[in-house]
Amino acid sequence: MKINGPSIRVAVGAQPAGPAGPAAPPEPNPESPAAINPPIDIHDGPDGLTLEADLPGATEENLFIQLEDNVLSLHARIQPPAPEGARLLHEEYRVGDYYRSFILSDEVDRDRITAEMRNGVLRLILPRADRARTRRIEIRS
Amino acid sequence: MNGAHWQGRWDPFRELQREMGRLLEGLDPFQPLRNVRQYPPINVYDAGDGYVLSAQLPGHAPEDVELSITGETLTMRGERKRPEGVKDDSYRRQERPVGRWARTITLPDRVDSAQVAASFTNGILTVNLPKAESAKPRHIAVTAGT
Repeated sequence: MKINGPSIRVAVGAQPAGPAGPAAPPEPNPESPAAINPPIDIHDGPDGLTLEADLPGATEENLFIQLEDNVLSLHARIQPPAPEGARLLHEEYRVGDYYRSFILSDEVDRDRITAEMRNGVLRLILPRADRARTRRIEIRS
Repeated sequence: MNGAHWQGRWDPFRELQREMGRLLEGLDPFQPLRNVRQYPPINVYDAGDGYVLSAQLPGHAPEDVELSITGETLTMRGERKRPEGVKDDSYRRQERPVGRWARTITLPDRVDSAQVAASFTNGILTVNLPKAESAKPRHIAVTAGT
């Protein structure tokens, strides 16, 4: 998967492991060292980028999005889904907190970033800063 | 670019679970599900009175998921639609699967299939499978011999 364009980069170490190879070391995160790296999509639109992350089990109340310097991080705390005292019989997915971070370039308008959660999917709108929008420059003869 | 890749990633926890499963093989009514990587991923719990099955289905609305039971077979099917108006070439990164899926699970005969109930919250489908009366733990009173 190639990422071109200057607007956003995905932080090194945040990529998921390929199907064949062993998992990459998890993103260091002091709050939750065994956090799950959620899958994401990033797509380009006329006004900026949209980032969507699958966070099944997460709600607005337990989701923390932080922007520090140029690092945007998302962290969701997950409560175990099973009733108290239930015994796990069969496991295909691990239940745990989600964590992933991204490096934003200057072309994202940080003041206008918006987020919404719906059906376990986080959608982050990263509008392009005005000066980064394509402008037509008249050439005078 | 198409996002229809349902195969899971290598997961050391799953490997561990599989090892544990081998040890507990005789005790586990969902044993036939092991070693198969399908979509959606499910977890199964024993909650005493019943089994609880949870499936990760982010991005689905309750009406996108269909659930049916025939005899001892639970069938889940659904579709995760591609977002409208987003062109394939506008993706810079695509890790989330999309498309139609279906999964069939054979329930242990100890489930009372008439009482199965399901709910959908925050992208997680939860199916409650009550145990049949005969499979519930019974308390046997011990009386003092005379």
